[in-house]
Amino acid sequence: MIFDRPTSSELIKAVMDFLDTKIKDELPPHLAFKLRITNNVLGMVQREIDQGEQLSEEVIKVMSDVIKSDDLTTKELSNLIKNGDLDLSDEGLKNLLILLSKNKIAVDNPNYSTYKKLIK
Amino acid sequence: MQEELASSLSKKLLEVGIEGKVSNLEPLTGGASKEIWKFEVSNAKQSIKMILRRGSGIEGPLAIKTADEARIQKEVIKVGAPVPIILAVSKSEEELGDSYIMHFVEGETIARKILRDEEYKKALPVLAYQCGEAIAKVHNVDIDNFSFLPNKPAEDQLEDLYATYQSFDQPSPVFEYAYLWLKEQDFSNFQESLVHGDFRLGNIIVNGEGLQSIIDWELAHIGNPLQDLGWVCGNSWRFGNNDKVVGGFGELEDLLEGYNSISKFQVNKEMVKCWQVFGTFRWGVICLIQAYAHLNGTINSIEKAAIGRRVSETEIDIVDLLFLGGE
Repeated sequence: MIFDRPTSSELIKAVMDFLDTKIKDELPPHLAFKLRITNNVLGMVQREIDQGEQLSEEVIKVMSDVIKSDDLTTKELSNLIKNGDLDLSDEGLKNLLILLSKNKIAVDNPNYSTYKKLIK
Repeated sequence: MQEELASSLSKKLLEVGIEGKVSNLEPLTGGASKEIWKFEVSNAKQSIKMILRRGSGIEGPLAIKTADEARIQKEVIKVGAPVPIILAVSKSEEELGDSYIMHFVEGETIARKILRDEEYKKALPVLAYQCGEAIAKVHNVDIDNFSFLPNKPAEDQLEDLYATYQSFDQPSPVFEYAYLWLKEQDFSNFQESLVHGDFRLGNIIVNGEGLQSIIDWELAHIGNPLQDLGWVCGNSWRFGNNDKVVGGFGELEDLLEGYNSISKFQVNKEMVKCWQVFGTFRWGVICLIQAYAHLNGTINSIEKAAIGRRVSETEIDIVDLLFLGGE
């Protein structure tokens, strides 16, 4: 990347801090609620920038053991399940779906109760 | 704008014989596609708090007409189900639009407050039983009165949800798996009932004593009553309290004990599981619908954008329920 610091992740963090410390208390309740959502969204973007590549690669690596295809994408995996090309009782498939779900929620909402329960 | 609204409200209320000055109009955070206004009507004798619930005209494809929600509440109150008293109903072509006015019921709807605040500490242990009783009253009501509602068998809903999911071209391996799993389930053992369709914290009013009212009937339909029980037991509606299966506050045994004390149709624990999976898949598709309303440019909204990334919550709940012994 040719860009200087702050990195995109650091810029988002700065925006989140600003909204949280300077704006939050100025807002009426219905907008404060929207601000909380806004901050959640920025958190997702930050986590995707920071960890997205590694989390995706982990899934694709496991996927390559489960499906016999050069197209290692969630789209291809979806099609294979839909078309009955995979054994639904296969533990490898189940573990792949568990890993995929864990790695997605790790970016989208790592505070989600089921995720916290499962990584304990 | 508020003066205009106040004048429309006074006129509508006068039609049903309620005279008074409308004041203290206050917007409340309602559902994603409804306007909710709290206000007061005062005359020489008294002052009454009321709620206006009004459709925006951009409801999702699953929602019924707002005025039809009022028709349902008028019926279920007759069999003792706890719902706010309807005062006036307005059709789309009237000045107020597709809406209704009802009594304001004191209490809380916000899930996180109900689950955390000291005020509701005594209500929480009895809430699951009360919810069971209340939704059983709804399910017991004679469905001949609801010919205006769509009939939605589980199999049809499943196909509709799957087709909706596919229309967005956002493939989910977990949804594909869940769809095939659900197709294998037996949904045939039930008694056709009025189904609320979104029975959970957020859509009930709770005070220190417990359940006061069931509100927000926009997803009501005729179908399988187990849908409401599976829905309120989905992790999506536990608000972080994963171990409290019913709505984040109660035990399934208590919900079913309350339910079976009233219901003509008796339900056991095992019957609820596939409806939890069904409900979780349904919520996932609703998240997609909302997110794509934003992405297609229908509504520009930060909430709707954010909800697209809640699909993954439903995916992890589905794998937990299907593969990891989740309850």
